[in-house]
Amino acid sequence: MVQEQVLDRAFAALADSTRRGILARLGEGPATIGQLAEPSGMTLTGLKKHVQVLEDAGLVTTAKVGRTRECRLGPDRLEDAAGWISFYQKLWERRLDGLEAYFLLKKGIDS
Amino acid sequence: MTYELTISRLIPATPEEVFDAYTDPEKQKIWFNIIGEPGIIEATADLRVGGYITNVWGKSEDELFRETNTIRVFDRPNHLATSSSGSDPSGMTMDTEVDIRFEAVDGGTLMTVVQSGFPSEEMRDFFNTYAWVGAFDRITKFLEQAAR
Repeated sequence: MVQEQVLDRAFAALADSTRRGILARLGEGPATIGQLAEPSGMTLTGLKKHVQVLEDAGLVTTAKVGRTRECRLGPDRLEDAAGWISFYQKLWERRLDGLEAYFLLKKGIDS
Repeated sequence: MTYELTISRLIPATPEEVFDAYTDPEKQKIWFNIIGEPGIIEATADLRVGGYITNVWGKSEDELFRETNTIRVFDRPNHLATSSSGSDPSGMTMDTEVDIRFEAVDGGTLMTVVQSGFPSEEMRDFFNTYAWVGAFDRITKFLEQAAR
């Protein structure tokens, strides 16, 4: 996403008081969906929807921890960009090596 | 504002053969596991513009990576472009754009992959320096005022 779109989503996400409350709570530290829902009296489903909007805006990241989903202030994904680049580098090497080997083997069998 | 990675390889086959082997789910299951640690590999596809190519792989059920590619350009056997959404076993995700060209050359097909849209240091710095610090000051002030 370009910077403009990132900002559009972030501001749209911040336009809701429940979501600002969630961000303020996460400012104190990571919390599970259940922990976020408790003080607000919201249902888990309702809260999950708000968290999803914040996540889509890049304001919050979530990760599975055991059976629960832990939320924290984003954007962790930006910190991890270098990790993803090296992950994909290895993945593409494996894919292209695999394709090359596939055709070398096929040629060997065919000839 | 974003990083990209480029990788290319000469594959000893025609562009048609390489394009088909790359996009066919049944062939993906074979060539993906020829090199590297064998493990779980699932592949499904709907090969048309607006369709998808999805791969799931990993050493075990608990360590599965998933990549869903939504097809933007499907020009057999020359060009394949997709929007990629990858997720790791912890649930972290990364959205990028993938552009693959298949070019006939001496000895086979030159396959060139450009993956772009990885957020850069500058973008991270933008969030950390401007978006976050200012935003949270403003949110805190707003909440304090609302509480009065």
